[in-house]
Amino acid sequence: MTSPLTQTVHWDLTYDVHLGNTWGRFMQGLREQKILANTCPDCSRTFVPPQAYCEACFVRTEQWTELPAEGDLEVFTVVWQGFTGGPTPPYAVGGIRLAGADTLLMHVVTGLDFSDPSTVRDQLPHGSRVRAVWAEDRTGQILDISHFEPAG
Amino acid sequence: MAQRAAVVGVGITDATSPRKQTRSHLELCQEAAWAAVEHAGISPAELDGVVVGNIDGFEGTVLGGKHITRLLGLGPHLPMVVLNTGGTTGGNLMQVAARMVRAGTHQRVLCLGGPTFFGVRDLQSAINTNSPMIVEQPLGMGGFHMGAFAASAYQARHGTTVEDLASVVVADHQKAARNPYAHLRYTLTETEVVEGIPLSSPLTQPMVCPVSTSAAAMVVASDDVAAARRTPSALIRAMGTSSDPYLGGGKGDFAVMENLAALARRVYALADVRDPRAEFDVVEVFAPYVHMQPMQLEALGFCGPGEGIDLIRSGATDAGGDLPTNLSGGPKCTNAGVAGELAPYAYTALQVMGDAPEAIQVPGARTGLAHGTGGSFFQFENLAVFSQLTPQEQR
Repeated sequence: MTSPLTQTVHWDLTYDVHLGNTWGRFMQGLREQKILANTCPDCSRTFVPPQAYCEACFVRTEQWTELPAEGDLEVFTVVWQGFTGGPTPPYAVGGIRLAGADTLLMHVVTGLDFSDPSTVRDQLPHGSRVRAVWAEDRTGQILDISHFEPAG
Repeated sequence: MAQRAAVVGVGITDATSPRKQTRSHLELCQEAAWAAVEHAGISPAELDGVVVGNIDGFEGTVLGGKHITRLLGLGPHLPMVVLNTGGTTGGNLMQVAARMVRAGTHQRVLCLGGPTFFGVRDLQSAINTNSPMIVEQPLGMGGFHMGAFAASAYQARHGTTVEDLASVVVADHQKAARNPYAHLRYTLTETEVVEGIPLSSPLTQPMVCPVSTSAAAMVVASDDVAAARRTPSALIRAMGTSSDPYLGGGKGDFAVMENLAALARRVYALADVRDPRAEFDVVEVFAPYVHMQPMQLEALGFCGPGEGIDLIRSGATDAGGDLPTNLSGGPKCTNAGVAGELAPYAYTALQVMGDAPEAIQVPGARTGLAHGTGGSFFQFENLAVFSQLTPQEQR
């Protein structure tokens, strides 16, 4: 008889993360079908999701703007192997450049035909136009944007 | 009084999968710590500090380093610092120890990194918890999914094929096959890499690091301690860390490692490195995913944008080439988490001390570059330049 090799440990903990004013306002915007960004007064970079402070200039961000719910898909990956508790693969996640933003917004991208993995990449070439599709029930979270789909 | 710091001892355990590992986390750490102390030629009682790393959550522990340190058997009154900076924990261990020694308050500090991914049932699920909560975690990305963004962007920028990427894996495995401490010590063909299980495009399973179990440790000491040794030490000539924005989307360009390039300029200036390709005899970079090594070689100034894979294919980065890189096989073939992040520093120090395993030692290596990186999208970088410090050169 071999000696015991492992013992099982399980964590299952729930937290309430407090959003604060900046992300609170962003999430309220999503509920109203608006993608809100803010801008650093020093370097003029526009952040989406918004940031309370500019990480480069260490100053408080000020001006708020609404960005179009459409942008260019700069990068994406197709998830073929997912993980416990995650969405069911295959699915695609991408970085989207909304017009006027200096950061990428990460989100789920749909409209791809996954039947032939070798063609997936060319279906949405670098810079493809995608637009936000709103969830029907919006509760103030990032998945109030259900996903982005090819536009046009 | 400020003083210089050098690595005077290194301990690395052999590595295997969690399933085949018969030693516990603690036993692996003990083995590495004692090997480093023995290699340094000091007694445990001479240590005046320990810097230990762990990653809360990934290990199913909170401040696990605290429990480990007490049980190393190195003595009852050892001051301890716990580092918990995620994927850069291992790379930062030496930076913290070296600062303690350079400040003149410590003479001999042990850095210790154990196996971080030892036991987690679904590592990608654990890594997803490391993703920025609220805005990126709900999108469903584990470690290799986030890693794949840069691979995908690099492909789009340079027309890199999956075969190009596969050639890097083939080279890494050939190197690991010669390293007695490596985990995956088999060779692979380009076809086997390309036809591997797709994980997250363009990455296939062989393009992604294994989950390994091992431990690594180093003793960082002052000039005076190094001078008392009869064999060479690894002087830490320069080091530094750098950071991008935390959100993945804050990275301006996934196809180029701008943050690493900025750090390299800073660290090279501190070390007075003017021609990196000519000056480094040996390089170890933290490249758990296939595209990272060529991108890092570019950011570190060894070749131009998009030329990293050609450099690897040319043989320049193999043993016998003019820029031997990741002769350990790198994290692509052995990645135990914190131990894996400390490994580039441990192997580079061993190389310039002349004490690397015989099969991977670069003959006459005097100057080396070690690199670490971490963060969900590898936003955080660390680097160090080592020079051989021979007994007659020491004051």
